[in-house]
Amino acid sequence: MHEISLVQGLLHQLKELAKEHKSSRIITITMEIGPLSGVVIDSFRFGFDILSADDDLVRGAKLIVQIPPVTYTCTECGHKETTVGKKPGECLKCRELFLIHEGGEELMLRQVEME
Amino acid sequence: MCDTCGCSITADKGQSKIIDVHTSLFAANDALAKVNREHFDKTGIVTLNLISSPGSGKTTLLEHTIDALKDEISIGVIEGDIETERDAERIRAKDVPVIQLTTGGACHLDAAMIHKGFHRLEKETGGDTIKLLFIENVGNLVCPSSFDLGEHERVVLVSVPEGPDKPAKYPRAFISSHTFVVSKTDLLPYFDFPVAEVMGDALHLNPHLRTMTLSSTTGDGMETWLDYLRELVAKMKGNNNLD
Repeated sequence: MHEISLVQGLLHQLKELAKEHKSSRIITITMEIGPLSGVVIDSFRFGFDILSADDDLVRGAKLIVQIPPVTYTCTECGHKETTVGKKPGECLKCRELFLIHEGGEELMLRQVEME
Repeated sequence: MCDTCGCSITADKGQSKIIDVHTSLFAANDALAKVNREHFDKTGIVTLNLISSPGSGKTTLLEHTIDALKDEISIGVIEGDIETERDAERIRAKDVPVIQLTTGGACHLDAAMIHKGFHRLEKETGGDTIKLLFIENVGNLVCPSSFDLGEHERVVLVSVPEGPDKPAKYPRAFISSHTFVVSKTDLLPYFDFPVAEVMGDALHLNPHLRTMTLSSTTGDGMETWLDYLRELVAKMKGNNNLD
């Protein structure tokens, strides 16, 4: 997608947070990136490495990416399957093909450690 | 995060402090999209966001839709492209309010562009009576699917010559849409495009999708599309009368 511009958005949010908490250095950033968000985690990290190197506030900061689980509910029998991996091809109980997902589209800044 | 073992115990970090945030990186866009949607709701304007690859026939579908509905429903169009006024000129020739947003390189429209664009549409074209607003997004099946514009319905189009694997390859566009249109069905005899299989792939991703097939040039399937639009406008009118 446009991971670099998403990282720019992240850095903007971090600047605001640092100002609010009177911090001058960010140590750790924890992001939640859902498997259905369309965001490529490797590209996001790559963008972060490039942009953070040029930024005093986040230079050297550690980026932790958590992948939240997605719950797939069968439209036929209601069986729920929760996974961080690939979408199940069919309902594991009744083999119905149509499953509805809950969650997985997150692109969230969860936690920031700063000094 | 503890440096020694990676556990999530956060106490005892000396000078540093941990801030829990929970903000989406799309938060700014989503907040503006909400404002747009509330405005469209209040003023009774059904808004559709059309997304597809370049060349799937979005503008042609709009031209034919305007021809069919212009006397019945007041229509407005926001055209999104990286460069040129060409699409807006085609719509302007149909004598309905239209503005062109040129993103100058950006691969999608966002809620802020629509906010400004809609006010321009109202001012420049006297489009304050619009009841049905089409937003034709930049031709791209990837990025537009991540940006809520404040629309009521997101419509994803795939044309027959593009091939049958678009839902499988670009899942987010289908997951985030309400309606899936297969366009240029007049070309089905010349391409390997198993319609039922493609629809199945899309529904597999999103069982709530409304699906339809049409050809703007022959008019095949157009009635289903037009009825869908009429239904949305009638529903909006009903909602507003209740208030």
